[in-house]
Order: sequence, then structure tokens, then C-alpha cells
Amino acid sequence: MSKKHLGSFIIDKFVYLIITLSILIFILYPYLSIFVQSLSETGQKITDFWSENFVLTQHSVVVALITMVLSLIFSVAVTINFAFLSKQKQKILRLFLLVTMVSPPFVTSLAYITLFGRRGMITHDLLQLTINPYGPQGIILMQTLSFTSLNALVLIGLLKKIEPSMINSARSLGAKTDAIIKDVIFPLLRPGIVVVTLISFIRSLADFQTSTIIGGSFKMLASEGYFAVISFGDIHRAALINLTLAIPALIGFFLYIKYDRDISSVHHGTASGELGIPLSKKGFIFPITAVLSLLFYLALLLQYGSIIINAITVKNMGHFQLSWQPLIASKIYLNDTIFRTIIYSIIAGLLGSLISLFIIYYGQVRNSKWMRLIEMIGTFPYILPGTFFGLGYLYAFSKPPLAITGTTAIVVINVIFKQVAFATKAAKASVNQVHPIYFQTVHDLGGTVLNEWNDVFFPMTKQGFALTFLNGFISTMTTIGSIIFLVHPGQNLMTLVMFDVVQRGEYQVAAVIACMIILICVIMAGIVFLLIHLSERSKKHVSLSPRLN
Amino acid sequence: MKTIRKIGLLLVLFLGIILVTACGNGSKQSNSDNSNKQKTTKEFKGQTMNVVATSDAYQPLFDKFSKQTGAKVKVLSMSSGEVLARMKADKSKPMADLWFGGGLDAFEQAKTDHQLEKYQSNSIDKINSKYRDKDGYWLSKGLTVGGFVVNKKVLKEKNLPVPKTWNDLTKSKYKGEIIMSDPSVSGTMYAIVKAIIDEKGEKAGWEYWNKVNKNISFYGKRGKDPQEKTASGEFGIGVIPVDKMAFDAAKQNDLTVVYPKDGIPWVPEGVAVFKNAPGKKVAEAFIDFMLEPKNMKELTKLDGKDTDQVIMPGVKGLDLGLNKKDLMKENLSSFGSDRTAVLNKWSDMVGDK
Repeated sequence: MSKKHLGSFIIDKFVYLIITLSILIFILYPYLSIFVQSLSETGQKITDFWSENFVLTQHSVVVALITMVLSLIFSVAVTINFAFLSKQKQKILRLFLLVTMVSPPFVTSLAYITLFGRRGMITHDLLQLTINPYGPQGIILMQTLSFTSLNALVLIGLLKKIEPSMINSARSLGAKTDAIIKDVIFPLLRPGIVVVTLISFIRSLADFQTSTIIGGSFKMLASEGYFAVISFGDIHRAALINLTLAIPALIGFFLYIKYDRDISSVHHGTASGELGIPLSKKGFIFPITAVLSLLFYLALLLQYGSIIINAITVKNMGHFQLSWQPLIASKIYLNDTIFRTIIYSIIAGLLGSLISLFIIYYGQVRNSKWMRLIEMIGTFPYILPGTFFGLGYLYAFSKPPLAITGTTAIVVINVIFKQVAFATKAAKASVNQVHPIYFQTVHDLGGTVLNEWNDVFFPMTKQGFALTFLNGFISTMTTIGSIIFLVHPGQNLMTLVMFDVVQRGEYQVAAVIACMIILICVIMAGIVFLLIHLSERSKKHVSLSPRLN
Repeated sequence: MKTIRKIGLLLVLFLGIILVTACGNGSKQSNSDNSNKQKTTKEFKGQTMNVVATSDAYQPLFDKFSKQTGAKVKVLSMSSGEVLARMKADKSKPMADLWFGGGLDAFEQAKTDHQLEKYQSNSIDKINSKYRDKDGYWLSKGLTVGGFVVNKKVLKEKNLPVPKTWNDLTKSKYKGEIIMSDPSVSGTMYAIVKAIIDEKGEKAGWEYWNKVNKNISFYGKRGKDPQEKTASGEFGIGVIPVDKMAFDAAKQNDLTVVYPKDGIPWVPEGVAVFKNAPGKKVAEAFIDFMLEPKNMKELTKLDGKDTDQVIMPGVKGLDLGLNKKDLMKENLSSFGSDRTAVLNKWSDMVGDK
């Protein structure tokens, strides 16, 4: 073996080892720790917990199922409706959906109470009714509204992958609009539908915020788990609750594995590419999707409108007045938190994407079965509740050999590895676009593994890397559950501050923070898309052939 | 090899950042000498005091301390229940150096669990002995008192009078119009529940709560629920902690704040140094600093406390109309030890609400 090949061999093995170890230590080990803890520590046994709290589980699963179906209906309607819209409108709506991925449930809930509460503007003032808005109906509505944006973005990502020629040929064969949707578009969306169904189900199960605001006396597992920690200091009970939540989530996961092959092409809402020509607005499907989409967009407008109003006004004797006060008041809550949140999100986005690309490289390109197992382990934070991941970290890393609780590192590591799940999906999509012949060519020309990375793998997955980074960035900017039990003084992040001020009822400050998070995400998205655009433009001028050393 | 070099550089840079920030946490906190001189004039430059506090609103006081002593102060807002839970899960290190604010029950619990450091400031005598731990593990920075907020518009619509006493809340005409937070979530609500049981006696106290419970449709899961939901007209009466924030919110939303005539429940808010805190000396210096009358006055302002809620005689707070003689007789010694029993009984009484 030549010196060049030996060096490359060592680096290759080293990277492989680091990736494997990091996933095992920072994903598998925390989960194992909390599983072992909840089953072995003295205290209530899991079977007793189940028999006593069956109603809680029932509540959570029923709400999750209904939310899942409703959110699916709305996201499919929004997606299909996209096929009827011009490019310009699509662009605006996609940006709108991207913005609304940051969806603090407090605003929706407040708007809901204002409109439909016991003294709501619509129910009480207009219809003279006094309806109780608290309970599962409120939770389901709020969650549906919150989850539909991400779902729709995932599906729109798939819609854009449909070859325009397929639609054109269907049309030239005389297919009507409804038939094209039913026979061409819908089947192609199916793998995405499986993913968004699962995402909604799991997000609903893990949501511990909405029911505390709008649930009334209706109790659910995730929020009870959170309260077990904050009001009783009972981490054992929280662990049991999370373990219970993990069961329906894992059932969902097995379905997910079944469809994994198909959904590898799904983006986390930031797909590029262009859809064919808009469909003509004929048939029955268009009006149905238009009405549902309109309802959804109106609700979103109301939600985000009230965020902005809350951020720039103060109330006096029940009337709103324009004011800088919320912005000024938010200063003491934020301090250096904004800068820290951006830095953490950039680190999580970059390292999360890099790790994911390597996992997919070894799993797909090099065909390593072991790495595919690692990839599956990497999916856990995506299917299990965030608080579970956080509690796992608390248990695993508060004692030797890796006692890192209280450090900044544990927070950063947590957000990095939380990204790996979704990032590997996006990475797979971009790696799949690289034809294996390129890798073969490098080898045939006597190139090393490093040449493979340098000349084929990284240059050709650049765009995928950028999008994966953006997903990781946005997701870290908005993450709460997995880090809420990990931060120490001087490590707080913007979402946690927002969660905290919501708990105290400081909605104006919360609204300012929500606006800032949205703005930061939009700016980052702008930068990433600009970079992609620039690199595509320069590609047009430069020869496409890969450089070989 | 350009791309790989770039990625390598990126990795090294990030690992560097992580290492520097991670190590930074511990290394900055070195202990200073042990002299017993007035510590507030001492320089703590280059040292950090980590604080868990019930609110970020205290930042101006911490900033003033930083300016005076050179110490850097990092604050994390956290409920006292969460502080206890985190310490339970992670016994390897203290949650922070200073614990600032939170219900007395949590401080008593932490004292029993040996998680607090004893500290008797030279100025401790300035605080009424009723409001500090006799063994020196905690002291209070002020009192939180309980009362109601009333939405008169809602009550008028239902032809209901404004309640004036705690006993009024048991009247069946208020059924469905009262909201209070779950006492396991809100320290103030626990204090109100406990104070009324103390005042009325065990049997009569629980009978009282049983009657109130019949008028309540659900318990708020956040401390601010009663305030907010009364403001939005969802309920006519909210049981709340009465401070300046409550009066401000009342002004904003056209509500009325009521101090019940049959007694006002109260709870001291604790301050303590965590056991084995790396920044122990800085935290102790902060307590000395806080006990200076001018700083106590500033704290009162930040807390929005009435003069009668101030635990240091002579220091004037705001005038929110509270009368000290209305404060209920309470048994602070069982405040922490009774918590689990009271909350369990409470949870059996309210069921799924």
C-alpha cells in the first residue's frame, strides 16, 4: 500500500470509528440509561403505572390520532392546491409555510380563546353562546394548525420532484385535472404522506405545551411527564411516562422502516427544483382544496398577525396601543441569548449535516450494513419525545465516565445529535442523486477514499448539505423538549426563554422573541438559498467534469 | 484536497469553541480568600456567579452587583420545583451558586436533602428572625401574598357581587366562575392552600377547600392562568399572587384586585447558597450586598412588593394597599415537611380537574 493510500486508509477508518462511537455514545447510551432507570429504580413499577394511568394514555393516543388525520387532510389539501398555483404564488406561500414552522402554541391558543372562548368574540358576543373551549377539541385544533405547515412543506418537496413530462403526457392522453391528481400526483405523494402521518402522530404524543394552555381538566401523558419533573421532582414518574409514550411511537417507527426505502427522497420542507406547469382549475378537487387551504392560511394569518400585534402593542383598559415597550421589556430576558442561540444552531446544523452525510456515505455508497444500523439508531431522537432524549442525557451524563452535565458541551451535543435523524433522510436524498459510476471512476483512476470525498462526494452533495444545514439550523432554533432539563445558567436558548415567559404570561415578550426567531430563520434561509443560487450560476459557466488529482 | 481541508478546519474550529465554552464554565469560578471583611467591596473580577432565579426581572440588581464587584453573573430562570428535580437527577454538581426566589417549601426540602450551604451574613440580624432559617441555610427576600383578581364585567353579566372574603368563594352562586392554579405547579397556590388550613385548622380547612373545589371546573397548569383567564373574561374570579404585576395587569384589562378581608395568606421567598458551589464566595458576597438597605429597596421595586411584604424593617417598598395586620397566622415550620401530604390529599380531593 502506498503512503498516500495508507494515510487515506487510516483517515477513512478513523472517521468511520468516530461516527459510530458518537452515535452510540450520544444517542443509544442516553436512551439505554433512561430505559434501565425507569425499569429498575425503586418506585412505581411500569405495569402499576399503566393500570393506574390508562386514561392518560388513551387521551394521548386518541388526540394524536385525530390530530394526525386532520393535519394530514389539511396538508394534502394545501399541497394539491399548490399544483394549481403560479410559480410566483408558490414561492410566496412556501416562504409563508417556512415562517410558520416556528409555531409557538401560546399564540394560537390565545387567539382561539379570544374568538371561541366562554366570552369569545364569535361564540359569546356574536352567537350569544357560552361554550367551554377547554379540552381535547382545543388541543386537537391547536396541534393541527401547528403541524400542518411542516407536513405541507414535506409534501410540496415531493410534489416538486414530479417530472413535468408525466403530467404533460397524461394531459396529452386526454386526462382531466381530477384524474391527473388521482392517478399521477397522489400516488407519488404517498410515501411522503406516510412520513407526515408519522411525524404528526409523534409530535402530538410528545407535545407537552398545548394541553397546559388549552387542555383544561383534560390531562395527557406528555404534559403530566413534564409536571412530574417540575412540580414533584419525580423523574422516575417522568421516565415511566416517557417510556409509555415511546410504545405507540415505536409502533409508528416500524411502519416507518417499512416505508423507509420510499421516503428517502423526502426533504424537510426545503426542497429545490421546479414543478411542471400549473394544472388548470377544473374539476371537483380544486374547489375542495382551495377552501381547505384558504381556511388554513386564514388561521395562520390570524395566528401570526396576533404575534406581531402582541409584539408591538401594549394593552390599556382593554385597548391595544402601539408601543416599543414589548421590545424594550424583552431586552433583559435575552441578553447574550440571541448570539448564543445562533452559534449553537449553526454548529448543530453544520456538524449534524456532516455526521449525517458520512453515515449515508458509509451506509449507501460503501454499503456498510453496520452503518445502516447506526443510521437507524440515529433515528431514535426523531421518533421518541424530546423530553425523553433530554432526561436520558441527564441520567447518562451526570456520572462518570462522561460526567458532562452543567457544561455547554452537553447542550451543543444534544442539539447536534437531535438533528441527525432528519438530516440523514435529507442527506440520503442528495447522496442518491450521485451516480455510483463517479465513485467507481475515482477508484479506476487509482484515487483514494480521500479523493472520493474531495472530488465526488462533497462537491456533488453540496446543495444537499446546504439544505440539511438549514433544516438543522431551523430545528435547533425552535427546539425545546430535549434541552429544557439540560441548560444551566449562561446556556439558555431563545425558545426556552420564550417557553419560560409564556409560563409567566408575559405574552408580549414571548411575541417579540417569536418574531426574532422567525426573522433569524428567514435570514438564514435567504443566505442558504442565495449561496445555492450563486453556486448554480457559477456551475453554468464552469465545466461540470469533476477535478481529479 | 481543498474541501476536506475546509471541513477539517471547520471541525477543529468547532471542537475548539465547544471545549473553550465548556471548560469556561468551571475554570472561571475560583474561590477567593476567606477573610471576614465586608465582602461587597471586594473585587471578584474574572469570577462568575451562576444563579437560578424565579424570574429574569432581577437582572438590574445583578448588573449592579457585577459593576460593584467585577463578578460576572449568569442567570437562568427556573421554577423551584424544577430546581429540586434537577438536583435530584444530577447529584454530581450543584445546580448553580445562588438560588434566588421560590417557595419556602422547596428551600426546606433542599435543606433536608443537604443541598444548601450554611451562610450567616454579618447583616442577617436586619431581617426579622421569622423570615429566615434558624440554622442559617436560607433567608427570605420578601413575601408573596395571595388574593383575588375580579372581572367585574363578567360578574355583572351574571348578577354576582364582587367577593370580599375567602369564605365568599365557597358560595354556590360562584360555581364555574372561579379559577386557581394547581398547587403542585404554583408555589403561591400551595401557600394559600396551606395557610388557610393552618388558619382554620386541619378539619375545617379541608372542608373549606372541598366547598371551593365544587365551584372550580379545572385548575390552571401555569401560575399565570388565573390572572390571564380572568382578564380574557373566561372566568369572573382568579386566585392570584398579589403584587405590582397584578395591579398593572388589572389596569391593562380593566379588572379589580381584592385583598380578602378575612386574612391574607403569605409565603416567604427564599434565597440560599448551594452546597459545594464553585462560586460560593461570590454568592455569599451577593447576599451581603442584597441586605444593604438601598439594594433591598431596589429589589422590592423589581419584585413589585408592597411595603408590608418587605422582610427588613425600615425599608420602604411600594404602596399597594396591603395591611400587615391582615396577614394570616401560619406555621412555617411544617411548610416544607407537609407539602407532599397536602398535595396528595389535594389531588385525591380534586380528582381529574
